[in-house]
Amino acid sequence: MTETSQQVPVTVLTGYLGAGKTTLLNRILSENHGKRYAVVVNEFGELGVDNDLVVDTDEEVFEMNNGCICCTVRGDLIRILGGLMKRRDKFDGILIETTGLADPAPVAQTFFVDEGVREKTRLDAIVTVVDAKNLLARLADSPEASEQIAFADVIVLNKMDLVSEPEAAALEARIREINRFARIHRATRAGVAIADLLDQGAFDLTRVLDHAPNFLEDDSHSHNEDVASMSFEAERPIDPEKFNAWIGALLAAQGQDILRTKGILHYPGESRRFAFQAVHMMAEGDFIGPWPKGAKPASKLVFIGRNLNRPQLRRGFLACQVDAAP
Amino acid sequence: MSGLRQADRLLEERGIGEDFGAFVTAAAWTRDGLVSACALGDGTLALADRGGFRRVAAHDGAALALCADGGPAGFLSGGDDGRFLAVSAAGEITEIARFGMKWVEHVASHASGHRAAAIGKKLYLIDQAGQTQKQLDHPSSITGLAFDAKGKRIAAAHYNGVSLWFVASKSDNPRRLEWKGSHTALAWSPDNDVVVTAMQENALHGWRLSSGEHMRMSGYPAKTQSLSFSRSGKFLATSGAETVVLWPFSGGGPMGKPPLELAGGDGVLCTRVACHPVHDTVAAGFADGLVVLADIASERILPVAAPGRGAVSALAWSADGANLLIGTETGFAARINFSKH
Repeated sequence: MTETSQQVPVTVLTGYLGAGKTTLLNRILSENHGKRYAVVVNEFGELGVDNDLVVDTDEEVFEMNNGCICCTVRGDLIRILGGLMKRRDKFDGILIETTGLADPAPVAQTFFVDEGVREKTRLDAIVTVVDAKNLLARLADSPEASEQIAFADVIVLNKMDLVSEPEAAALEARIREINRFARIHRATRAGVAIADLLDQGAFDLTRVLDHAPNFLEDDSHSHNEDVASMSFEAERPIDPEKFNAWIGALLAAQGQDILRTKGILHYPGESRRFAFQAVHMMAEGDFIGPWPKGAKPASKLVFIGRNLNRPQLRRGFLACQVDAAP
Repeated sequence: MSGLRQADRLLEERGIGEDFGAFVTAAAWTRDGLVSACALGDGTLALADRGGFRRVAAHDGAALALCADGGPAGFLSGGDDGRFLAVSAAGEITEIARFGMKWVEHVASHASGHRAAAIGKKLYLIDQAGQTQKQLDHPSSITGLAFDAKGKRIAAAHYNGVSLWFVASKSDNPRRLEWKGSHTALAWSPDNDVVVTAMQENALHGWRLSSGEHMRMSGYPAKTQSLSFSRSGKFLATSGAETVVLWPFSGGGPMGKPPLELAGGDGVLCTRVACHPVHDTVAAGFADGLVVLADIASERILPVAAPGRGAVSALAWSADGANLLIGTETGFAARINFSKH
């Protein structure tokens, strides 16, 4: 989260088979944007590439030997990003296309785990393309489909020409049940403005959280196998020691179910905001800019995952607050 | 400033250096020790003899891998343009093979003439005539490559271990050295009995081939990118800490013995090591650009190049140990002569 200007932004494109990922990639690459991208793909198909560099790779996911069973990373990406950073001609951005059945966690975790990757690149956003016509069927028959939505910062709801407006509204509502915080763009033939996809700074958490609607709304899907998202707000400052102890134990115990955690925290006597984020059990945090002028500092925490227990999470988070003044 | 100038004395009095403005990805000498080469991130090679440097266009993209060719003169290079090249000492380029969009990430050779290139999961063994003799498959991408000292076997590191192949064997069944995790670099001891890999988790793993014993060396604050056995085989020099970490491989080591740590104190990460081919001395490069020589027995440190020219990304000795080649991430390259005037 530091020195973002020096780091090359990386956009991860996920989406189920046939959702329109390659169409979107082609759109991005063929648009006259005057920028140069490196594109990491799994199967070199019909990409219309002139100015850009395409790298063909096999997804190689491996477990870290750190006692954390869900800590998996993409070894091929560590090598490829390292290799790209040695080239003289720097890129304006890097696009990574994942296979249709890919779990996005290893890609995201690669940006937490590897020092070299963190130093030279930053994960800008995870963009998930979903097929409006087949989304509900996919959600019913494959866990990867909901994980791809859960991990998304931006969702392209594609093939809108194949569904009616009421159907589209129902789809958006279904997506919101899984991930309340992603931005959704409706599209036909993956027609989305590049400005809505690239260089989003989606991991700029303030932006994500400021755009998150219905923050304290109740959630009806909190006790089942479906992926759901929940958010909590604390008025009094958060004690860093209490928070670290609580979140550490929580992610260690339930990190396999908790796909993503994001938070903006107000530490006592601190004028800057502390940004916290985690993918499964891998967590990191850093101070970002000060609270906006005139705004009352308040801490927010978001979870996206399965089997989330709302009352327990709320109690745990609120207990991290400093004691109220007598 | 006088300290810095003093640190540069060897470079100024005995070296030639030039700034090439592109990441030095690898450095090597021809086997006869006359010509050096640096592979650069812009696809060129910077060849040098005593007279000075010159650029040779080699790859369309980045030159990723470089080593001496099997014969007395010339180099092998691999690039992200998928080309595996032979480069003569005069700079003439011959394409040995082309692998399309796949990167040629590792190359190796042996004085017997064998050439090897790793492309993804495949290892190609190619002879001096350019004929592919073997194409060997691995369970995942190859991340390190080395012939043994006799040129009889080649070791390839990958996820969950290392595969050892007999170069001349009729049946292609590797001996697998297994250890779970991502192995990212590899070294083979001079007596051919120990293979050591660097791992993603800031640790090393080793196998003693004669006994099957496993070795684990850990405690690094960063990933080890560079490992090099001393000529005698008594020490393994490694990068990845704020000192040069040398593991003792004699007298029952390295297990249960603390490593020797040299050239520390500045709080700067060591990024490259290269053991001297004749003496038990190691050249080490640091993230601030400092290059030193460390004598292992006396623990004396001799500065070679001062900080300030970019993190050291490549180091290579000529076979006779008279000349050292240095390269950095920001594109500085230098060769320094240590022989008596």
